[in-house]
Amino acid sequence: MLSVGHRGVLMIVKPAKYSKALQRLLVASMSTGPVQVDIPTSQSQQQTDQLTVMSSPDRPILRMVDKTSLPRSRFSQPVYSWLETLGDIKDEKLGMVELHPDVFATHPRMDILHRCVRWQYLYRKINYDFARTRAEMRGGGRKPWPQKGTGRARHGSIRSPLWHMGGKCHGPRGPYSYYQYLPLKYRALGLKVALTVKHSQGDLHIVDTLEIPTTDPEYLEDLVRYRNWGKSVLLVDMNEEISENVCEASAQLNTINVMPLVGLNVYSMLKHDTLVLTLPCVQKLENKLLYQDNRHSHGAKGTITADRDVFGTWPDK
Amino acid sequence: MASAGKGTRGALNLLKNLPRVGLNNIKPLPGAFFKAPRRMGGGKSKRKCGRGHKGQGQRGTRPRLGFEGGNTPFYLRIPKYGYYENHSRRRQYPPLSLYRLQYLIDMGRIDTTQPIDLASLTIGRALNINPKRQHYGINLVEEGADIFQAKINIEVQYASELAIATVERNGGTITMSYYDPMSLHILVDPIGFFTKGIPIPKRALPPEDLVEYYTSAESRGYLADPKEIQKARLALAEKYGYKLPDLSLEERFKMLSIRKDPRQVLFGLGAGWLVDMNRKTVLKPTDPELLEFYKS
Repeated sequence: MLSVGHRGVLMIVKPAKYSKALQRLLVASMSTGPVQVDIPTSQSQQQTDQLTVMSSPDRPILRMVDKTSLPRSRFSQPVYSWLETLGDIKDEKLGMVELHPDVFATHPRMDILHRCVRWQYLYRKINYDFARTRAEMRGGGRKPWPQKGTGRARHGSIRSPLWHMGGKCHGPRGPYSYYQYLPLKYRALGLKVALTVKHSQGDLHIVDTLEIPTTDPEYLEDLVRYRNWGKSVLLVDMNEEISENVCEASAQLNTINVMPLVGLNVYSMLKHDTLVLTLPCVQKLENKLLYQDNRHSHGAKGTITADRDVFGTWPDK
Repeated sequence: MASAGKGTRGALNLLKNLPRVGLNNIKPLPGAFFKAPRRMGGGKSKRKCGRGHKGQGQRGTRPRLGFEGGNTPFYLRIPKYGYYENHSRRRQYPPLSLYRLQYLIDMGRIDTTQPIDLASLTIGRALNINPKRQHYGINLVEEGADIFQAKINIEVQYASELAIATVERNGGTITMSYYDPMSLHILVDPIGFFTKGIPIPKRALPPEDLVEYYTSAESRGYLADPKEIQKARLALAEKYGYKLPDLSLEERFKMLSIRKDPRQVLFGLGAGWLVDMNRKTVLKPTDPELLEFYKS
């Protein structure tokens, strides 16, 4: 079953049975794109082109990503995505890519997404607030006036917390780090869930390369608008050496950003409406993310590497 | 609208028609964030900080738990009995049911084209064996004997008569094998052991009280005489009333007849060998004394 995530489906709706919110959703599902106010409900240019392409028999499913070395459960089926190109504003499909279900159709764990986003926000957060205590405030060593006889309240120091310009009793104490370690398997799972979510909602596009004909940012804007890709786009290439045209064009735009594969993260994927990956990226992502599923966990409960004193060091001669 | 069915497929179909997942509509699992209850401040008796008025309670001088004012307390009156005496030294064999084994084989987590031992069961996450918890191996339990259908060559540490009969009736073989705790450590986590860079030790022979069990043919012990085992197989088939399949006619006869040496811990690796994970090589001893030692 093809699941490319487009929503051009005809269905018969009985409005009386459904709530208003669901009715709105059902109406929106008959048009393209997710539920958004600013997108017109009439079918866009891109939708018509897609339908004509799909109906032609000359578009084979090209296994462009090498799956031979990747493990797969006998019960799961691959999912598919179009292979597109950025060379022309008009969307031309070059073929179809087979995607591994454990990476692009894993269970949509929203709580994992939340956890990963929260981790990304917190692990590098440092709170620099610092409030001096009465001991650290300048002065305040001498008793301001004698204990008795002056008619005033008794005090021992002019820097006690009661005083104006006195020290803070239980204030923030110096740099405080919010670092937390999120296990590597969780991070990999977060990426998998984010990719799944993007793919199943039709916001993932796979292209052959990120090469565009001009450095004009308008070209990218027109392309995004024509193809109905949403407000913001994240373009991901394999290495840090990305073609100059795309770099220059996206540098002048706020909402279209380019990133090497090593920088791919859950926060960026959710922040941008659309994700565009190049074909070598898909291969590398599948390899890297699936490795975390089946690898030996050093130090896991009950394993030898967790119990350091089981065998000790080299046996004595 | 694609139908929202069960499982992952159903969830993904649901997602297609829901709003775009973004930073504004993801939430943690309920109960993920624990809000500590407020202890002090607010309330009628916040002055006493929840400690009450005067006495041992407020002053923190209460006696030890179980103290009854001076008379012999309950926990000393009752006489001791050795229910748990040496419980931490007793051998434990966590159960593995035939039902679960069949499930794992069906899901493809266990490969029936190779002999099954504790290492392959651990890798397939059949159950969690922790030698530190006095686990000495697994116990093959009869639950699921009526639905068991696989032809396997399995090696466990204990199995009841019905479990043995079920495996043999389906055209498989079963052996009971002893692993001392050190060998068991290696068996349940081979890669962890290889990373240590220590040669594989000899597997120890069973202790006195287990020798009888592992040398008897009725329990298919690994130290028993193969001829006696064949007789026992026929006797069991007669007892339970099934026809014993002739294994020599099987395609997989060679695989079904593979057994480990009594001093061997892992299939394909001998005692005294050293597996180098970095260079991906296996080093074998050449010194005649060492060879003599590891052969015994």
